[in-house]
Amino acid sequence: MTVQTINRAGTLLLVVFTLTAPWVLPLFVDSFWVDIYSEILIWSLLAASVNLLFGYVGLLSFGQALYFGMGMYGVAIGIAKLGFGFWGGFGFGVVLATAMAAVAGVLAVRLTWHYFAIITVVFSLIFYFLALSWKPLTGGDDGLPFGMPPLISIGDFELTLTDPDVQYFFIVLMVGACYALMGRIISSPLGRAFVTVRENDLRASLIGLNVYMIRLSAFIVSGFIAGVAGALFALFGRYASANFMFYHVSGEAVVWAIIGGVGTLFGPIVGTSLLIVLREELSHVWAHYPILVGIVVILTVIFAPKGIGGIWTSLVHRFAGANAGKGGDQ
Amino acid sequence: MLELRDLNAHYGKVHVLRGVTMHVEEGESVALLGRNGVGKTTTLKSVMGLVPPTGGSVNFAGTEISKMAPHRIPGAGLGYVPQGRGIFPGLSVEENLLIGLTKTPPSHITDYVFDRFPRLKERLKQQANTLSGGEQQQLAIARCLVMQPKMIILDEPTEGIMPILVKEIRREIAAVRETGVSILLVEQNIKTALRLCTRVYLMEKGVIVHEASASELENDKETLHRYLGVTV
Repeated sequence: MTVQTINRAGTLLLVVFTLTAPWVLPLFVDSFWVDIYSEILIWSLLAASVNLLFGYVGLLSFGQALYFGMGMYGVAIGIAKLGFGFWGGFGFGVVLATAMAAVAGVLAVRLTWHYFAIITVVFSLIFYFLALSWKPLTGGDDGLPFGMPPLISIGDFELTLTDPDVQYFFIVLMVGACYALMGRIISSPLGRAFVTVRENDLRASLIGLNVYMIRLSAFIVSGFIAGVAGALFALFGRYASANFMFYHVSGEAVVWAIIGGVGTLFGPIVGTSLLIVLREELSHVWAHYPILVGIVVILTVIFAPKGIGGIWTSLVHRFAGANAGKGGDQ
Repeated sequence: MLELRDLNAHYGKVHVLRGVTMHVEEGESVALLGRNGVGKTTTLKSVMGLVPPTGGSVNFAGTEISKMAPHRIPGAGLGYVPQGRGIFPGLSVEENLLIGLTKTPPSHITDYVFDRFPRLKERLKQQANTLSGGEQQQLAIARCLVMQPKMIILDEPTEGIMPILVKEIRREIAAVRETGVSILLVEQNIKTALRLCTRVYLMEKGVIVHEASASELENDKETLHRYLGVTV
């Protein structure tokens, strides 16, 4: 069995599990875990946006919550204040987040390392405080709730996210599309250019790559992904809140990405799953559960710096190697 | 093809290049020699835009490139193989060759490159960091060649390479020269430089102090000893 076959089998398993979760999960655990899995999928997109920048381009952003928040507010303001329908609100959220990323990116990607990390936090804080203080538009501390418009409405027939199955599969569809887009980008010449810039930006410019534009492209795509996550989360919770723009949300996404394994497409799903499941299981047993999360993070960074994705990769290679040694399928 | 006129460069307050003037004609191979720290690599970096010149001009094929962004220079036809190879270790051999190209190179170019470097063809899918030092150097040169440059700048291409592979690298550079591509070579290995190049510039403390044909310099023991501390 080759590495590729094992990876394909793993991906297929994840896809089958995701598509059957609304029926399979309640057979083993409480049905609210379907909602938690939806939440995991959404948050994994935020972690994936961190991963795209950090894992593939080498830029560590602590400000992804800004684009997540823009996605949320775009949906909420679009529906509650501007009278947009479902798709108009969703689109407005994603466009707002992507535009914000384009504006912030023009300045941010001129910097690297800690300077880049700092400027991303600063951008995120500016808009966090703006969202808190601009109460008539954003609802301030209270957030901005909205009623759910129908997804599709033809005569008497209506599809809305108030139906749990519709909501689940809408989230799955959008998250799946985002992962497909990221997979496509990563395997394209642009994705190779990302890795080249991550490995050595000077050498990259010496072979004719415009490092600034490559970083900016990655930043905008990453803002788009975080924006989709935010828009989905707003639809999932029927409201938007400035709390989700705070930098601790960005920090959590960084942790999820690192635990899952940066530089791997599905690492963020794994890291987000693990830490959200830990949170759900431990938070009602022990109020200080973040200490355990902290320990998990420290141990991962020390003993498995490539995260769970890295452990998976080395196990798969070892298994495939052992199999090849036994004369297995090549 | 390449003309540096009164080129100056600074690292902070340190004046490193103090009016370097030199040229490389079309199809010519020229060596820039000197002791460690005299400014050879800085000269190359200034040409490639990595150390912005603080004075003077760099003209390549009729275009002033001293103010050009570094990523635009390879597109003008000037390839650079930096010291220490400069490959991307995390990418495969194939990805290293294709990265930076806006379109797939014509088959006669890839055929030519793989004829010259058959080891690379065998290792196309292999990660570049698994190649030997010599193979990595071959990859760095090959990557330059697929961009179809008019001129290649090589910074110490035989540094840290097994003697058996030095010969091979030398042969490849000679073959590149035969195709009419101009070469500017910085080398510590004087024999290699004199064998590959027809003209030589000697550099000391950021200035060109001597210019001679390779054959003249080979016989000029005194100059060699004075500026390079060696005899051939």
